[in-house]
Order: sequence, then C-alpha cells, then structure tokens
Amino acid sequence: MTFRTPSRRLFLGGALTTATAGLILPRRALAQEAVNFQLSWLHSVQFGGSYIAQNKGYWSDAGLEVALQPGGPNAPVEPPVVAGTALVGISAADYTAAAVNQGAPFKIIGVAMQKNPFAIASLAENPVNSPADLVGKKIGMALANMPVLEALCSINDVDIAEIEVVPTQYDPAPLVQGQVDCLLCWATDLPVAMEIQGVESVTMLLADHGYAVHSQTYIATEDSLANRRDQLVALMKGEVMGWQDYHADPAAAAALTVEMFPDSGLDLATQELQAERQVPLMFSDLTEAEGFGWFTDETVAANVETLALLDKPVSADLWDRSILEEVHG
Amino acid sequence: MSGALALRGARLPGGGLIGSVLAVAVWEIVARLTAQSFFIAAPSAILLHMTEHAGLLWRALGVTLWAAFRGFVWGNLAGVLMALLVVLLPRGERLISTLALLVFCLPLVATGPILRVLYGPGDGPQVTLAALAVYYTTFLPVLVGLRAAPQGWFDLVRSYGRGRMVALREVRLPAALPYLVAGLQIAAPAAFLGAMVGEFTGAERGLGVLTVRALRALDLPATWSIAVITSAVSVLAFAAVGWAGRRLDLAPPQVLLAAPGQARRSAWQGPGEALLALGVTLALWKGTMELFALPRFFAKRPEDVWAYMVSGPGAEAHRAKLFAAMGETLAFAAPGYLAGLALGAGLAVALTLAPRAAAFTMPVAIALRSIPIVATAPLIVWALGRGAAGTIAVVAVMIFFPTLVACLHGLARTPRAVLDLFEVYAAGRWRRMLGAQLPAMLPAFFASARMAIPAAILAVTTAEWLATGRGVGALMATVASTSDYGMLWSAIALIGLAAVLAHGAVVALERVVLARTNAEQLAR
Repeated sequence: MTFRTPSRRLFLGGALTTATAGLILPRRALAQEAVNFQLSWLHSVQFGGSYIAQNKGYWSDAGLEVALQPGGPNAPVEPPVVAGTALVGISAADYTAAAVNQGAPFKIIGVAMQKNPFAIASLAENPVNSPADLVGKKIGMALANMPVLEALCSINDVDIAEIEVVPTQYDPAPLVQGQVDCLLCWATDLPVAMEIQGVESVTMLLADHGYAVHSQTYIATEDSLANRRDQLVALMKGEVMGWQDYHADPAAAAALTVEMFPDSGLDLATQELQAERQVPLMFSDLTEAEGFGWFTDETVAANVETLALLDKPVSADLWDRSILEEVHG
Repeated sequence: MSGALALRGARLPGGGLIGSVLAVAVWEIVARLTAQSFFIAAPSAILLHMTEHAGLLWRALGVTLWAAFRGFVWGNLAGVLMALLVVLLPRGERLISTLALLVFCLPLVATGPILRVLYGPGDGPQVTLAALAVYYTTFLPVLVGLRAAPQGWFDLVRSYGRGRMVALREVRLPAALPYLVAGLQIAAPAAFLGAMVGEFTGAERGLGVLTVRALRALDLPATWSIAVITSAVSVLAFAAVGWAGRRLDLAPPQVLLAAPGQARRSAWQGPGEALLALGVTLALWKGTMELFALPRFFAKRPEDVWAYMVSGPGAEAHRAKLFAAMGETLAFAAPGYLAGLALGAGLAVALTLAPRAAAFTMPVAIALRSIPIVATAPLIVWALGRGAAGTIAVVAVMIFFPTLVACLHGLARTPRAVLDLFEVYAAGRWRRMLGAQLPAMLPAFFASARMAIPAAILAVTTAEWLATGRGVGALMATVASTSDYGMLWSAIALIGLAAVLAHGAVVALERVVLARTNAEQLAR
C-alpha cells in the first residue's frame, strides 16, 4: 500500500486546496463547478432521472459539472459524503439514521422514493400476500436487512421467531431453486429479473403494511448545507427536472440508461420494466401537488416512528426541506 | 523432475480430446435437464451468450485485465522487495512479516470504502486490491528461495572478503528464482480475482461489474460466460508464467547442506520483538489515517477501538458480541484450513507420483481459484448446504490452490544428485517420495501453511457473509451496512491478532521441523 503514497498525497492535497479555495473565493452562480454525486448502486434506470439531467444539460446550464459515481456491493454511500469527496449521496432514511447515530453529520434534503421499495417476493404456488403468511416460511435475505424484517414483524404483530431466515445475496436463484419460500428484496429488482426470465412471482410491498421509511433519499452534510448551498440547490434542481422528464416517459429513460452505459451489461427489456415499476413508488399525489422529492411533517413523523422500531431513533431534524423549498420556490 | 512436469499442466494427452468432448456433452445434457432450477448454464447457451455479447465481454475483460496487470506488477514488486529486506535485515524479520500478514488480513468491507475515498473515481482501488491480493503469496516463497542455498557458498563469499550484497546477488537471487516463479504463478489468478472484487467498490465497467449484474438478473449464461472467461485467463496466465520460468534456464537444485540450526535467542528477544511489532502496527495504523485525514466516522483509530472494546460505554456488550462471533468463525476456519492444506499438499504429492493426471487437474484447480467466490459459493452451498460442510469446503477451496502450487515447486526442488542416489539403489516411487522429495518440499509446505492463515480467514468470513450468516464475516457485513464502524475495526483488530497468533504457532512448528530437515532455512 505504501508505494503509491506520493500520488495519493498529491490527490488529497489537490482536493483540500480546491475545498479551501471554494470556501474563500466569492461564489458566482454560473461558474462551472465540479462535484461528485454518489449513487447507491451500479448504473441502472434506478437513477434514470439523474441521467436525463446530465444528458439534457440541466446541471451544466446551472453551472454545475456533476460526475455520477456508481456504487456497488462494497461501496457504502456514507464514507465519501462524510469525507466530502461526494457532495450528495443517495441513501435511505434507515441507513442515514444509523450513520447519524454513529456520529455522521447528515441531513436528508430530498426523497426520491416516497414509498419504500422493500418487498417480499414469493412464487405463485406458495404466495406471501400478507405479513401473517410469513409464519413458518423460510425467507432469503441479505443479513444487513435484518432490522427491516424485525420492524415489519413488530408493526404487524408477527412473531419473528416463527420465520426461518436464510442468508442470501444479490440473486433470486435460492427462491427459484426452492431453497427458500420467499425473498426480502426491492420490488423493482429481483421480481423484475424473475419476470424477464419467465418466472412469475408475487410481490408484497412492505410500504403497504405499515413500513414507512423514505428510500433513495438525498443526503448531504451539515457543512455542505451551510457552505455549499448554491451547489446543493443547483444539483437538486437538475434532479427534479430530470425526474419530471422521467415521469413523462419512463421508457425513454430506460433507453437513455442503456445508451449512456454500454459497458454495464444492461438489458433494455429489464430496464424498461424496472423503470415502469418504480414510477408508483416515486410519484404520488404529494409529489403531484408539491413537486418531486417533497416530504411533509406528516411523512417525516411516520418515518421517525418506524425508525424507532428499527432501533434507529432519530428526530425530525434529520430532514431539512430548505433546499427543496428553494428549488420549488 | 516429475514435479516440474506436473506444472507444465494444461497440455492434453491424445485421449483427452475424446474425454473433453464427452464431458461437454454430459454438461450440456445435465444443464438442459435442470434448466428449471437455474443452476447450470449449458455450454451451448454460454457460447451463444459470448457471441451475442462479444463486444461487451471483450471491453470488460480489457478493463479488468489492465487493472489486474498493474496490481500484479506492483504487488509482486512489493513482495520481492519485502523478502529482500528481510534477508538483508534479519533482525527485522518478525516486524516485517507481522506487518505483511496484518495488511493482507484487511477485509474488503474496510478497505473498499477507504480506497474509494482516497482515490476518488477511477480504477485505483481495483489496482490496489489486486496488488494486495498477491504480495503476500510472493513474499513468503521468495523468502524461502532466498535462503535455499548451501551454507558452503556463503562461506565461500565470506572467505573472499565480500559482504551481504555479493552473497545476495551471486547466491541468494539465483536460488530464489524458482520460488519466485511459484509466487508469480499463484499471483496470476489472484491478481485477476482481486481486480474483479475491486470493482465491487463502485466501478463503471469490468468483469466484476458484469458478475454482480448477471447474478442479480438470474442470467445464468452471463454468469457462466464470465466464469469461463476468468478461468481461461487465469489458466493462460498461469501457463505463461510457468513457460517464462522454464525459459529462464533455472539452475538445477543443489544439495543444501547446512549445520543444524542452533537456537541463540535470548529469553527477552521473543517478547521484545512482539512488543515492537505491536507498537509499529499501532503507529502505522494511526499514522496512515491521520496522514490522509480520513474521517473518524469510518476510519477508526486504535484508541477508538480501545474505547469501543474496553473503556467506553457498552464495551462489555460489544466484547461479548464480537467474541461469540469470533468463536463461531474459528470453529469453521480451523478444520477448513487443515483440510485445504492436506488437500493441496496431498494433490501435489499425487501429481508428482502420477504426472499425467496434471493435464486435467491443474486447469480445474486454477479455475476454482480464479472464479470469484460470490459466483462459486452458491454452487458449493447448493451442493453441501449452508452448514459446516459448505463453509469448510469454501475455505478448503480457497487455500488448496496456493498450497498445491507451492508444494509442486518444492517437490521439484529435490536435488538431482539425491534422486540419482535413489535411482542407483533402484528405490521405488514411494521410497523416493518419502526419503527425498517430501523433505525437499517441507520449506515450501510451511510457506503455504503461513500463506493459508490469512487466506482461510478471508474465505471463512466470505462464506459467512454469503451463505451461513454466522460468525465474524456476517457481523462485519451487517455492521458495515449500518455504519457501525467501531465494531468493524474491532473485528479487524481481533482477526489480525488471531492471525498473528496462528502464524506464531506455525512458525514455531516450522522451526522444530526444519531444524532437522532444512537447516539452511533457519541460518541467519
């Protein structure tokens, strides 16, 4: 690890100089400023609105040069945002709450997924249609999501000891192969993969059973909120415009995604189906009335309540609507 | 030298062609019969996928290969330099090997985010992780090689009034070359795998990115295509290094006479060296994080771990949780470690006794090592279950390959003169194996036993994360996703400590055995 030290030090030195310069120099709204935007997973139509924003120049028109950084299985969003290498990250209220409880200075400045995408997927011959159906079943899930299952059970009075948890990762194979009866996954992810492969599945959305946790939330540090407001507003404004376009034509967003990332091995049919499935999670009467990304004191209160059940106590202060207000105002 | 013959590997004998065709036919039939359960992709489906996505796969291969190549170069360079340093400064051996071991033990859940923050976008983390995956398995064999010279030669150098540098250039380096080849052969698949796993830290493109995508999409032909490509690349790289090694016209192995090692260690030397290693480790740990100004939120310092585990609030609960998980992990790591070592050394002996078997054994062995464990683990788990058998098998698979390669090279270092002697007395294969070849293999075997310690830990934690959901591996995966970095770094510290202790035990055993059979290894 030692032999690359000089170049890294230079890199960091450079980053620090840029950061300091940014603090000292007076800021003009239209200077092209480079920022990193940390996504929570590999490139896919999950971030379709952001690709539209970049493709149509919604950010560059506002003087912001946004680099979209893909995530991955070993790429947590929180470290680059804490370190300041990324201005904004895509997280979820539960992950953000956990990080804040560990001392991270985060605020949630926007909510892309109004309804949480977590779902229980099962096969039609042995379906899980309600939380009570989970009793006596084997559920495959990533261990990291254990608190999600615990919260679902406690909200719906299901004894979690009656459910057998089998650790699985990334893939729907254990369900198809019969190793488990159901999977805890995103409704827009594994069920879509199964449908494309010709496997019919039943999806029960956790959000329909009391699990109120904002997902695909935009997080930034308190420091950025105080000192880099213009950039945050410009970035969120581009996001809002991009996602409005997405809402108008999800299929076009899917096509753009496949076109922009030819090396990601994306399949157009899968992307189109996923694009369509995430629309009802992201757009609601609330976003219709107030605009994309919006949240109210009521939705925040519901989140605070669920997060307490998840053993991640937070106050409503975690959410900061001031950026969205400037964007929509 | 039958050992060297076995290493020649991939060349198929005449009857092999029919066998291969038959194997592919059986594969195709089994795959088609079990298509509904999504386990195995048929060869025809793999071929179709490869032709349809040729452009994508070539580009991804190029990206991953380039990162792997640079990691291979840097990592091996580091390994060789460390081995040279140890030989030139024998007093620093304990310190350097401890640090090398500890860095090798760092898990991806901790290094991934740190490297990504340090490098920013680009393939820096991939190159670094590929380098980290290889330096240790080069360092150990090369160190053995640098010492594999007859005492008389060093005496000769000294009698001419020349110093260490001349001895290094004229005696040690030539002796180390065959061992370097072994290290490089082990490194070739490891670097490729390291680069692929490095892409899990947030990459735009590459075979690792495609693997994650294919697994998630239940796209079996894609998953298997990538597995076939990675295996092919690794087998080719392995064979190329072996070929280059033979072209170097290596000196034939010598009869290594050395006086039996005399223990001249004073009573305080052991604890003193241990304390020094601990101090330097802690200083480097803290110093590196401070130097790069890594936020305390995810880069915990030694004192943070101390507070978390000992002096801070909730320390008792933290300790109980971590120790319970560690107990579960060790219960699987130990049998897997022994099984993998026995399998590797046993296979090396078998292939030396029956070299023809190498033609089909080596490619399978290389393939098992080169396909990312996230892709192979589901198959192993499916075959052996999520319990002890599956976990132990994953561990054994991960460590038997380096052991096999190192032991094969060790067996091949049996001096010609010794073999001739056995020939003269018309000794049988087994007699020759027991009396001549096994003793020659011992230094390489112990080097593999050392290499296998961190490898076993990494394998068992991976299996726990992917399949069993128990032990430290599952704990680290869970706490990393909930930003509980205090627990993560405590787990890393405990794993490092366990690895150092296990390493100490192997070294102690090694001293006792090699003092009788290979005293040149202990001469300083």
